[in-house]
Order: sequence, then structure tokens, then C-alpha cells
Amino acid sequence: MAAKDSPLKQFEIDPISKIELGGYNISFTNSSLAMLVTVLLITLFLTLTVNTRSIIPSRMQLISELMYNFIAQLLSDTVGDNGKKYFPFVFSLFMFVLIGNMVGMIPYQFTFTSHIIVTFALAAVVFVGVTILGFVNHGIKFFTFFYIPGVPFYMHPLLIPIEVISYLSRPISLSVRLFANMLAGHTLLKVFAGFVVSMPFFTGVFPLAFIVALTGLEILIAFLQAYVFAILTCLYINDAYHLH
Amino acid sequence: MINKINYKNKKLEELNKKIDKIKTNNSEKLNNKVSQSGASFGFKISTEIIAALVVGVGIGLIVDNYFNTKPFGLIIFFIFGAFAGFLNVYRVMRRIEKQR
Repeated sequence: MAAKDSPLKQFEIDPISKIELGGYNISFTNSSLAMLVTVLLITLFLTLTVNTRSIIPSRMQLISELMYNFIAQLLSDTVGDNGKKYFPFVFSLFMFVLIGNMVGMIPYQFTFTSHIIVTFALAAVVFVGVTILGFVNHGIKFFTFFYIPGVPFYMHPLLIPIEVISYLSRPISLSVRLFANMLAGHTLLKVFAGFVVSMPFFTGVFPLAFIVALTGLEILIAFLQAYVFAILTCLYINDAYHLH
Repeated sequence: MINKINYKNKKLEELNKKIDKIKTNNSEKLNNKVSQSGASFGFKISTEIIAALVVGVGIGLIVDNYFNTKPFGLIIFFIFGAFAGFLNVYRVMRRIEKQR
């Protein structure tokens, strides 16, 4: 199979304008373009739809309010009253991932969440932020997070390393989950799209029908992964407040 | 007159009950949809184990590098990583059970 036909071709980064600063490659790539488009879309949509501020909302305003309520509810359910100050952070994360995934579902568009470095950067921000939050709230006592009460004392040398590894694995599982879902889904779509052309006679109709169903599933997964990202962020913030 | 007001109140109560019923039904449906999707559930569990193993192996290799204890650091922290993976899976499952 030629390289240009590969189902992985869609994940290639190509620099739109090459920029180099102090020996670092900071080119404006198609990935950056997709992110820019995502941020612009979110900003435009949210500002335009809630612009009218009508008491009886129009359909578009209702969508914005639904999104707002969705995250506000999530935060109050998982973190409680403390969660209100983190609403802007969680909402931005959720919208960025959600709209990024959705932009990627448009044919010929680049999906930036299918690159692990993007998702890992997002997860690292959450991880570092939550760790700092824990130290701010509890000071040095935050280390007791790794100490499970009510366990025989001779088990602690075993349990503390396990707890620490479990804690350190958070950003990795958070980023790999989003990245793997998007990568696998988009590759699968492209592979089956290849079958449509290469199968003999009219049998290409079957993979085509399958792709239609799969696209629906991909849109569900795009939403689900954004939701999972948001809810895990909420849970981690909650952990920073309530040790155990 | 009083009968009329009573009648109205009754109607209002019925309406409220109806709305409450629909609300709880809807939220239940949404929760079920979000928590039950086979592929995402599988990804959830597998990434938890893999992530913990990656961290365990990473720490093991670093320890070996610093203290020249090849291969013991890797072996010990690989096992710790595996346990941490199971712990993560246990926690995820408990959270899912709580949601239901």
C-alpha cells in the first residue's frame, strides 16, 4: 500500500508556516490550526448564543445553557460547594476536548486529540494543578494521601509505593484514554472506507453502511471522552480537598 | 368556590408529579447511556492497568540507573506497578457501581 493511501495519513502533522525560535521548532501546523478553529468556534458560539440574554431562551441559547448546566451539575455533584471556583477551568477543558473531537469528525479535518502529546499536555496541567491544590489546602499533610488508615503497620511499606504509583499513573491513564479512543476510531473509519473502494462489484455497499453506523458511534465516543475527561478532573479536584 | 380552588390545586399537584416523574426518568436514562458503552468501558479498564505499569517500569528503570541495581529495581517496581494497576481498576469499578 502506498504511503499516501495509508489510514494513518490523516494523523500526519504538516507545517503550514515554518517558524523557528531559539533552536526550537514552533511552526504553525495543521494541528495548531485545528486548535485555533476550535477555540474560535467555542468563543463565537457561546458569545453569540447568550448575547440576547432572553429569559425564554432560543434553541441555540438553550444549547449553551445546557452545556453550562451540565458542567456546573457535574462539579456540584462530585466536588460540592468548593467546586464552584473551578468551573471556568473544567468548562474550558470540557469544551476544548469536546469541540476538538467534533471538529475532527468533519471529513478532511484534523483531529488534534488523536496526538498523545496534546492530550498529555492537558492531563499534565490537570495533574500538576491538582497536586499544587492539594499542597495549598493541606500543606505537608497532603502526603498522608498515600497513607491508608486502618491497615496493619507492616503492610505500609508495600502499600505506600503502590499508592504513589497509582497517583502518578493518573495523567497517563487520563491522556492515553482520550488519545487511544480518537486514534483507534479514526483509523477504523479510514480502514473501512478503504474497503468500500477495494471490494468487488456492489459489495462495497456493506462497509459503507457500516461506516455510517460507525460515524454515529464515533460522535458518541467524542462526547463520552470529553465527559470522562471532565468528570475525572472533577474527581481529582475532589481528592485534593478530601484526603480519602 | 372552595371546590374550584381545591380542584385547581389537585390539578397542579398532579402536574408536578408528572414533571418529577419525567425528570427522574430522563436523568436515569442519561446516566445509563453514559456509563454503559462497551468499547469505552474496555478502554477505561485497560488504560488504567497500562498506565500504572508504565509508571512502575519507568520508576524501576530510573532506580536501576541511579543505584546500579539492575535488574532488581525493574522487577520490584514492575510488580508494584501491576498491583497499582489492579488498585486503579478496583477504584474505577467501585465508582461505576456507585453511579448505578
